[in-house]
Amino acid sequence: MIHDYLVLSVILFCLGIVGVFARRNVFTVFMSVELMLNSANLAFIAFARLHQNMDGHVLALLVMAVAAAEVALALAVVILLHKQTGKLDTNVFSLLKG
Amino acid sequence: MLVDLLYTCFAVFSVLGALGLIIFRHPMNGAMSFLITLISIAGLYALLSAKLLFALQLIVYAGAIMSMIVFIIMFLNIQPEELPAEKTKVIYLVGGAVAVLPVAFFLIKVIKRLPNMPISFASEGFGGVKEVGLIFFTEWLVPFEIVSILLLVALVGAVVLAGKREKNK
Repeated sequence: MIHDYLVLSVILFCLGIVGVFARRNVFTVFMSVELMLNSANLAFIAFARLHQNMDGHVLALLVMAVAAAEVALALAVVILLHKQTGKLDTNVFSLLKG
Repeated sequence: MLVDLLYTCFAVFSVLGALGLIIFRHPMNGAMSFLITLISIAGLYALLSAKLLFALQLIVYAGAIMSMIVFIIMFLNIQPEELPAEKTKVIYLVGGAVAVLPVAFFLIKVIKRLPNMPISFASEGFGGVKEVGLIFFTEWLVPFEIVSILLLVALVGAVVLAGKREKNK
């Protein structure tokens, strides 16, 4: 049934939100964002199957490409911040505070 | 039925992997646990007869993106004492769950209003490389080009960010 997939996608998305809320390790926060992207992909593909229409597959592909770009940039930033501060705590990375 | 059994297995594994991701302290354990989630989601794509997405999820996500994250985690050589202390983690986890629960219930309620289609036979070639590619390169050509520019910008940006330190020395 299609509902099961959508409910699973909601559950995974909420787990990703909780991960972003509750954790301070920058890698865990980052992978929680990836988890949210994945659950959105799952919803796209479930809807594509519901409507027998492949546009959802194309959107999921685009999301994957955006996630790849995000990983490349975010990891470069994380490496730089780790070199500067030697920490992985998201509370330490408040460099934009006025 | 085999499909229901497979769905249950994949769903349970993906939720357990996601729980492990947000509970384990060391990011390496979290990454391995997240890998289980990604592979289970690939299995769910296969159950939804998205053949191309199944392959790409395994190759791009579980293969490339996760190996890059794991590589960086190992590259930084994180010792357990370097990790943030996170003494209030449990409180934040419970609080976040309580805050998110109403949203989840609302979304599930919305989902229940949709027509519940049992998984029937997909049409011939649904989700195959040729069919998805035909739609991709005809109807979605402009987003494709924009994403290619985005990937190029991300590539240049990563090189600039990673190379800046050498120049400043």
